[in-house]
Amino acid sequence: MKYWEDFEVGESTELGSHSITEAEILAFARKYDPQPFHADPEAARRSIFGGLIASGWHTCALMMRLSVEANRREEAAATGSPGLDSCRWLKPVRPGDTLTGRSEVLETWPSRSKPIGFVRRRVELINQDGEAVVSIVGITMYRRRPAAAA
Amino acid sequence: MKYFEDVHVGDVMRFGRYEVTREEIVEYARQFDPQPFHLDDEAAKASMFGGLIASGWHTGAMFIRMVVEHMTPVHATSGAMGFDDLKWLKPVRPGDVLSVESEIREKIESRSRPDRGTVKIESRIENQRGEVVMSLVSLVIYLRR
Repeated sequence: MKYWEDFEVGESTELGSHSITEAEILAFARKYDPQPFHADPEAARRSIFGGLIASGWHTCALMMRLSVEANRREEAAATGSPGLDSCRWLKPVRPGDTLTGRSEVLETWPSRSKPIGFVRRRVELINQDGEAVVSIVGITMYRRRPAAAA
Repeated sequence: MKYFEDVHVGDVMRFGRYEVTREEIVEYARQFDPQPFHLDDEAAKASMFGGLIASGWHTGAMFIRMVVEHMTPVHATSGAMGFDDLKWLKPVRPGDVLSVESEIREKIESRSRPDRGTVKIESRIENQRGEVVMSLVSLVIYLRR
């Protein structure tokens, strides 16, 4: 099990990859973000983006999925998040793009009232051309190492 | 249609009504956030949340749905650069009914693109008890008249 104590400032983690399909982009957009350039391929072609692009909230959802899978591989004792400092959608995400996640620990601090600690990290998704398409700085909570196991 | 010139710091908008269902919480979580407290009643009961809760990113997705239904049709926006200071403040549970209160915080003219500007909008997503479950400051691109 990876506890809060096991995270070090500067450590980076590869989160794995996901190739996004047009069907996925349309399904997410039609449910949650039905703007023409996310939900209608024909209208998207005529938009300033020149083709279908994924909702930024879809890109963040994929980042979450990759983070959860990475936590599982590391057996990290993650227990939710109070929020994010920032999120920037830097480049459009298009059908067929392969997005690779990467995270870096920026800061760690313990909770004063609960047996958990906080980790602030930057997480980015990089496309197949090496461009960051989204960059966030967010906070994750992890359980502390139980005293008996220390 | 409201353009960059037509929104003013301090303007407040209230909109949206989103009923959160157990099925949707689990469906979103299976696809994007498969942690036990988003997926399974029993596991969620044993967690620090005491019951099934929606993924925070799912709450974000429900927020953008309300924005696209109620704001986008009447505001001349062209997407967003992102957001700052997102806080997940309270759990969102099955049966909750969410709505949005948005306030214009700041207007920034573009130096490179005279046809647009950025507007910082603080949004609070509330449940049926008036508790704020999530808040954020979006950086929305508005077209100029």
